[in-house]
This record gives sequence, structure tokens and C-alpha cells, in this order.
Amino acid sequence: MDGFERASQGVTLTPPKVAVRGLDISFPGQEGAPVTVLEGLDLELAAGEFLAIVGPSGCGKSTLLRVVSGLLAPSGGQVLVDGVAVTAPPPQVGFMFQRDTLLPWASVFDNIAVGAELAGRSKAVIARRVPELIAFLRLTGFERNLPHQLSGGMRQRVALGRLLAYEPELYLMDEPFGALDSQTKTVMGRELLRVWATHRRSVIFVTHDIEEAVTLADRVVVLSQRPGRIRLDLPITLPRPRDGRALRGTPEFGALCSEVWAALDLAPA
Amino acid sequence: MSASALPFTLSASPAARLLRDRLILFAIVIGAWESLGLLGVDPIWVSAPSLIAERLWSLALAGDLWRHASRTITEAGLGLALAFAVGVPIGIAMATYKYANSVAEPLVLGLYSLPRVALAPLFIIWFGIDLFSKVMMAFSTVLFVFMLNVHEGLKTVDRDLVDLFRTMRARRGFITRRVLLPWIVPWMIAGLRLGVGLSLIGAVVGELIGASAGLGWYIERSAGHLDTTGVFTGLVTLMAIAMVGNAAVAALDQRFSGWRNP
Ligand SMILES: Nc1ncnc2c1ncn2[C@@H]1O[C@H](COP(=O)(O)OP(=O)(O)O)[C@@H](O)[C@H]1O
Ligand SMILES: [Mg+2]
Repeated sequence: MDGFERASQGVTLTPPKVAVRGLDISFPGQEGAPVTVLEGLDLELAAGEFLAIVGPSGCGKSTLLRVVSGLLAPSGGQVLVDGVAVTAPPPQVGFMFQRDTLLPWASVFDNIAVGAELAGRSKAVIARRVPELIAFLRLTGFERNLPHQLSGGMRQRVALGRLLAYEPELYLMDEPFGALDSQTKTVMGRELLRVWATHRRSVIFVTHDIEEAVTLADRVVVLSQRPGRIRLDLPITLPRPRDGRALRGTPEFGALCSEVWAALDLAPA
Repeated sequence: MSASALPFTLSASPAARLLRDRLILFAIVIGAWESLGLLGVDPIWVSAPSLIAERLWSLALAGDLWRHASRTITEAGLGLALAFAVGVPIGIAMATYKYANSVAEPLVLGLYSLPRVALAPLFIIWFGIDLFSKVMMAFSTVLFVFMLNVHEGLKTVDRDLVDLFRTMRARRGFITRRVLLPWIVPWMIAGLRLGVGLSLIGAVVGELIGASAGLGWYIERSAGHLDTTGVFTGLVTLMAIAMVGNAAVAALDQRFSGWRNP
């Protein structure tokens, strides 16, 4: 019935980009009893959709992304990307972690270029494309710098540059701006929306920042405490392009945030 | 308050100051050693820097200094290179095949704890009295350092970094070449730093047991003649070789491990 509802809205006429079907994840626990992290999770992501996931820490958000990206095999159920069951990292899926995972010995240029290289781009294309990305991400002048010579915000911009250079169809982002100060976080969010608006890739964006989720996403899903189940699946119909700062004062924005807050508070502590 | 207000106006830079202080320390040690003779200690026990300098000069003129030194450098250098070439892949295998490593670990650590000195007579029997047995002595002394260092280094690899490359469907070989090997370069250099001294120890121990040339052989022969100046000349030469080796490793470290020391 969920499917009908969406089909009538014209969202899922094409096969979903990601389909999570009855997903169970458990890990071996301390005293033999397995720890269930996700249980019977159903979730769909339409092509071109920007989905934000919020939930209490430890509820399985990172684990979910690891399964979608093919890094972790499910204990039960399955995940389909473009209709194909995930058993290994699927093509054209880009991951971004909260911690910057740059090659510490490689320059900004080389860290971004490796994304294009792994996408199979030729040397000529890399030589043209990487400087474009560097300019777009306002990293000009830092091409030759090593990661430890950059601020946290710049490092995450390099990580975003590598993701863009890989040209994925699906972005999996695990609290990518979570370690940044709120000002930098806002700027990064705006840059991400700029990319998303031009390319309309599908995005799963995990965050613990409710305002960030509501500002960026088409839809916010709230997961419960472990085992993670869907508490709330809230469409965000705020008009785009969105300006985070202008939105913040509006009653619509406030109402959406309260709704997400309420769903989070429902989760037993 | 400023640095120029301090009495060290001669020190143009920290590097120059360090060099100056090192030379001062060196001069103090040499001076103290030389003055032992003036205090009445018989040079038969401790020789003296002036006697050693004289001996170095005459050995150098006769060509013997270079003959012995180059022999020992060759043995230690070949042993070090061989230990690197064999130890690094074994260290990688230890990190890759975790179960096999657990099986072999007690044995490996047991071998590691063996005093390699005790192997020298065996190596002479196996590999002869010439160069090769000393190379094997140096090799066996250094091998474990590379194995264990590389293994330790690989344990510290950032899992998220590897996972990130896996999500981009990087092949195993790509991850090895572009992530794992660069990651352990500082650990390999740390292995080299220990290896310089250890390979010299291995080579010299082998020469003490049985040889026809090399600084160890020269030391052994001098001791047989109660020629303490000869013994100290050999030791000083060894020390100089090790110091040059250490400086080379420090330069490598500077060049290749900079990303680790923000
Ligand atoms: N490899 C693992 N082995 C055992 N437990 C794990 C493993 N990975 C995650 N967990 C557990 O699964 C739960 C969910 O983790 P995670 O997905 O990282 O949560 P979050 O929602 O904060 O991202 C946590 O309780 C964590 O301890
Ligand atoms: Mg997480």
C-alpha cells in the first residue's frame, strides 16, 4: 500500500534506486546471545531522491549504509540497488564517512584524482576534471597540500571532491559534516545541495542534526533505538532551492523539525 | 624576551645550534678520553684518541682500512637488503593470513628470541668462512625486525580507509599498492633504523668467529696481540659506519614519513 501511495505521487514509476527488504542485522554478542541491530527493516529510495536518516546513536545507521554499500552481508533479508541484490560493492556507489578518510601521504589533487581513476577515467580527463572540482570546492591554491596541513572542513571538502570525481549514481553519506562547526557544516550542506541540484543523484544522508536533515532532504526517516525500526517517514515538501538560513525562521520548518523531534523522543531511552 | 636577547647570539638556527652542541659533546668525550693517559691510566687498557688517529692514518695509507671496512659494510649491507626483501613480504603475509600467523607465532617469537650469536658457528659450517656466512648472520639478525615491524604497521591501517576504497570497487592489488604499502613505509624505515646497527652486529659477530677480513676480524686479531689501540680503531670505525647509516635513514625518514608527523 505504501507502494501504491507513492506510485500515485509519481515517485516510484522507475524501479527504486535502493530497496531494503526485511533487513536483519545481528552481531555476535558478549555472552553468545547475538545483538540485533536492525530487524525487518523495509525502506525504499527513489532514483534522484535525497533521503536523510536520523536516529539515536547506536541504532544501526552506519551499519545500514555498510550493507547498502556491500561492505557487510545482511544476516537476513536483502538490499537491492537498481534491482540487483547487493553481494559486493555495487558500481557507482560513493561513500563518505564522518572521519575524513583521505590518503595521508597524498596531496589534495591526488586524493581527488584517485576517485576519477577508480571510475576508470583517462589521464586526460583526470587532468581536466580534478582542477574543475578543486575550483568548485574552493580548494584552489591547496592542490599540493597534504591532508594534515588542512582544516577539518577543507579535508571534508577534499573527501567530497573524491566522491564527486568518482561520479557515483548513489551517495551514501555517514554523518559527513558531523565533526564540523555549525558554520562550516552549513556551507558544506549548501555545496552538497548545489551538486545535487545539478546532477540529481540519489542520496542517503545519515545525520544526528535534525535541522540539517530537514534543510537538505526530500524525506526524513527516523529510526528507533536498537533494534532499529522506522519510527517516522516524513516527506519534506519545502520548496527548493532551499536556503538554510532563511528556512530556519519559518513556521513550516519549525513544525517539521518538531515532528522529527517528537519521533526521536518516542524512542525509549 | 626575544631569542636575540639570550646569550646564544651565535646560533643562527636551531639546526646550527644542534650541530655546534654535538661537536662540543664530541670534543668533550675525546678530551676526557685523551686525558685519561695524563691521569696515569696506562694506554694498554684504554688506548687514546691520538693513538687511534695515528693508527687510522697508517691503516688508511696501507689500504687496509678500506679493505676491512668495505668488507664489513658489504656483509652488513647485503644482509640488510636481503632481510628487507624477505622480511617485508613475510610481514605482509603474517597480517594477511591471520590464522596461519597465530599457528606460527610462538615458533616465530621463539626463533626471534634466540641469541643470533649462538648461530654464528653453525652458519660458518653451513655457509663457509667467507662473505656469505656473514651476510646470513646480518640477515638473520635483522629479518625479524622487518617481519614484526611490517606486521605491526599493517595492524594500524585505517579500516575505514580500506573500506572506502572497497566501496569504490578498487581491486586488491590497487589497495595493496596505493593504500597498504604507502601506509607501512614509516614502519619499514623504523625497521631500517634498527637494522643498520643490528646488521653490523650480525656481520661483526660472524667475523669474530671466523673470517679472513673485515673490521670484526681486525678487532679479533688485535685483541689476540693485546693491541688495544687496534681494537678501539676497529670499534671507532664501526661506530662511524653506523653513524653514517643512521644519518641516511634519518634522511629517508624526513623525506618519506613527513605525512605522519604533522
Ligand atoms: N562489527 C561489529 N561487531 C559487533 N557489533 C557491531 C559491529 N558494528 C556495529 N556494531 C554494533 O551495532 C550497533 C549499531 O552500530 P552503528 O550502525 O554504528 O550505529 P549508528 O546508528 O550510531 O551509526 C552498535 O550497538 C554497535 O556496537
Ligand atoms: Mg554511525
